Amino acid sequence: MEHPGRKTLVSAIVFLGALVILVPFYMILVNSFKGIRESALFGMGLPSSWNFDNYKEVFDKGNILRGFKNSFLISGLVVVCVTLFASMAAFVIQRRDDRFMRSTYLLFILGLIVPVSIVPTIRLMGELHIRGTYFSLIMYYTAVLLPFAVFLLVGFMKQIPRELDEAALLEGCGYFRLYWRIILPLLVTVLITVTIVVMVSVWNDFFGPFYLMTDSTKWTIVLQIFNFVSLYNTNWGIVFAFMVIVIAPILLVYLLLQRYIIDGLTAGSVKG
Amino acid sequence: MERRKYPLYFSFPALSVFLLFFIAPTLIGVYYSFTDWNVNADSISFIGFDNYKALFGEPRLGKALSNTLIFAAAVTLLQNAVGLGLALLMNEAIRMRNLFRTIFFMPYVIAPIVIGYVFRAIYHPEHGIVNEALGWIGLGSLGQDWLNDPKWALFSIIATDIWRVAGFAMVVYLAGLQFIPKDLTESASIDGASYWRRFRHIVFPLLAASFTVNVLLSVIGSMKVFEMVMVLTDGGPGYTTEVFYTYIRSTFSMGQMGYSTAINLVLFVLVTVVGVPVLMALKKREVEM
Repeated sequence: MEHPGRKTLVSAIVFLGALVILVPFYMILVNSFKGIRESALFGMGLPSSWNFDNYKEVFDKGNILRGFKNSFLISGLVVVCVTLFASMAAFVIQRRDDRFMRSTYLLFILGLIVPVSIVPTIRLMGELHIRGTYFSLIMYYTAVLLPFAVFLLVGFMKQIPRELDEAALLEGCGYFRLYWRIILPLLVTVLITVTIVVMVSVWNDFFGPFYLMTDSTKWTIVLQIFNFVSLYNTNWGIVFAFMVIVIAPILLVYLLLQRYIIDGLTAGSVKG
Repeated sequence: MERRKYPLYFSFPALSVFLLFFIAPTLIGVYYSFTDWNVNADSISFIGFDNYKALFGEPRLGKALSNTLIFAAAVTLLQNAVGLGLALLMNEAIRMRNLFRTIFFMPYVIAPIVIGYVFRAIYHPEHGIVNEALGWIGLGSLGQDWLNDPKWALFSIIATDIWRVAGFAMVVYLAGLQFIPKDLTESASIDGASYWRRFRHIVFPLLAASFTVNVLLSVIGSMKVFEMVMVLTDGGPGYTTEVFYTYIRSTFSMGQMGYSTAINLVLFVLVTVVGVPVLMALKKREVEM
């Protein structure tokens, strides 16, 4: 029944596909060690002489550490706001299920689809005198990512039996304690999914800081690379070195946690 | 326990941030789209439908509209086809399955803007990998200036995005495949059903949940494309790869705030018209499940 050549064919296709993904990564890495002329050829061969100055230059001029610090600070705080606010909201949205809560839910769902109106957002931040602050960017991301988190969490809340609430409340537990001590721990698996998606979205986003961050000392790493490439676009070796430095930590985290990341997304995507 | 006793205020933090920083700008935007708001002018005045009249008389809008729709349709279709294909391959007994799964998902964790820069090198007409590879296999004559040729530019952006997101669809389909009981497909294959028939009548219908999630996310996500287009072509050559957000960006940088808000509102309507029915289908199926 099994065709003998079939397994070989499947392996060959998978192997070719993996090559298509890996070759660009290899190209960046190998060219990041080449000088200005050699790197412009984007060759796949090893550098004629290994040039580490590209990396030194990026660290000297690229404000890399500041960029990482900003990205880490902003995405970390957005994760805290989104997981906390969304889980509290999802808890009452699903449990109360009255007209107000149903409209609230619908409003969030709409936010899942609708694109951000960026120009009015910039103006609003100005009117509130928070334009260009970390706070403004954190609030912007929280608002944009809440709909997705609420959507996933409300779906998950349905699976937590109401009897649990009843038992706790009869024991004299308050609503806040019920949420904090009983509901929240049961939501941990989805909250991990939410954390991953929020972290990846904020860390990699260019749109938000591009429009909302005027102060270069608060730029995230993605904005830093955009600015750097505009200045150094004639020297691909240096640009590639910058890319390696930007990609390496994310890739490392991904490779270490890939099991949880992929499984978390898997669980979240089908059950949500 | 009475439902109404669950405290309303639990929803207030989420609701207030969402209303203030998402809904409010959206509504304010509706107003500004009817004004001549320009950073170079001192005052803002109401001008009715003038922005929209100008916008609809502008061929750039038509370009942005058709490109956004072509991009969204192509990405949705190809991401799902490639993602499903990969998932089915990965579901076979192949060696180092987890390693391959990890590799295919890898591009998804990297910033689209970085991927854009990398592909600018990959598509380089003289030294880029794509044309070099075509040369190696003796098809050098098929080489193109992928990003500067109006015939190929949009295609090249689509291909780049598929490279980035196919692994995501694969993961969602793999999740769906795990829920399909093995004996179902095995008994069908003992009954003599071919691979294609088993796929069409058993596997694919049971993948419905993964399918809807993937389609919804691709449709919504791809209509809001920005970084990839900006870095690869910035809407060019000419306006041949213009999408909504590159158009908004260029009017924004010229200070035409009212006008660019109007473009945003057209995108809003477009995404709603396409996105809501897809979402409704998803919700309806959820009820049936």
